[in-house]
Amino acid sequence: MLEAAIWFWIPLSLIPLGAWLSISGKAKSLGKIIAVAGLLLVMISSWTVPASDSTAGGHLLLSILAPSLLLAYGVHGMVFGGNVPVGRLDSTARWSGSIAIIVSLLIFCLMHWYNLTPLWRDGEVNPYWIVFWPTFLLFSTSLSSASAVALVSYGDNRLSESIRLAILSVIMAGIALAAMIFDGYMTTSDEFRDYLWLATADIFGTIVGISLAIGAFAMVIWAYENSLPLPENSLPPTEEEIKHVVSLAENHIGGEEE
Amino acid sequence: MKQSESSWRLLILAAFLPILVLVAINITGDWKNDFHPESFKRFGNAILTSYVIMGIILIGNLFFYADSRHRPFAPFVGMMFALAVGILIAWALISNDDLLLEANSGLRAQMLSNVVHLLVSGTAMLLASLLAIGVTFAMITGRERRVLFEEE
Repeated sequence: MLEAAIWFWIPLSLIPLGAWLSISGKAKSLGKIIAVAGLLLVMISSWTVPASDSTAGGHLLLSILAPSLLLAYGVHGMVFGGNVPVGRLDSTARWSGSIAIIVSLLIFCLMHWYNLTPLWRDGEVNPYWIVFWPTFLLFSTSLSSASAVALVSYGDNRLSESIRLAILSVIMAGIALAAMIFDGYMTTSDEFRDYLWLATADIFGTIVGISLAIGAFAMVIWAYENSLPLPENSLPPTEEEIKHVVSLAENHIGGEEE
Repeated sequence: MKQSESSWRLLILAAFLPILVLVAINITGDWKNDFHPESFKRFGNAILTSYVIMGIILIGNLFFYADSRHRPFAPFVGMMFALAVGILIAWALISNDDLLLEANSGLRAQMLSNVVHLLVSGTAMLLASLLAIGVTFAMITGRERRVLFEEE
């Protein structure tokens, strides 16, 4: 238990602490170093403390690191290869970006249907892989669909872009449907269908929990702000102050010719 | 105002519809996959864990708020109380018989497992957001700039 605390739980808590230090501006560089070090220690925790079951989470993060970075690279290239006012990349970045996104999604599919599945102890599939995969598919399907509707509702003449986003949503739903029908390399379609329920419960539960926490935060702030006394009216300016202001105004807007 | 409200409803429907369609296919397909018995437990654990973790993040956020308000103590106490309520409910529901206890040995194991579970599902949602929002921006910036005024 102590080893798990030292090699997994403390590094895990260092990630938000480092991010907080970095965002707050109190120690930007140190915060980044702490967060990255914490993430690295969490990722290698299945080697530093192999007895702990929790390290399967860190192992999964390490397993999906490469396709995730490729996805981020692809999105960056696609966004900044277009018409942006600052930080514009070469127009080929859009092509390389879109290829990177396709390859990263392909790698995720190969992790399910081919021998790239993250293996943990004794050659068994990482138990969190079957948590990650349906959640990723369901949430991306849902968000792409919402984005497609948002583009066509709020955008100006954005139908063609909206259709492309809807196609992305259908592709992600299609991958989920394929996983429901065809067995994976190490997981069966039965397991996937079971975990689809759990992923749905996870997504809705997380959204409700986050909304409740934000609601509680808003109530606390609202109650505190409401309890503050109204600010007192300040005294009217004295004759001397008015004269000073008038002289300042005359200096600036008098318009006298030199 | 009414048009804005209907757009919001449409957005929420668009977000939920694909999930509901996949779940409907899951129920009505040839395999007849009924409601998973552990789904309620997962839903309950996800709510409580995300509430507590988000509460801790928001308490960290209170330091930014305090900087602009002569460092008041009341909001901090209020959030600690809200967090304590969440932890207390989680403790009560997990230790109460078989209500929220999944395949774990006890209260501590379940709570730690919940945090790791949230880490994984949160990463999945974050990556999905990166993909969907990133591609949306790519679509927006991909269009050639329209000429608003022709030079005479």
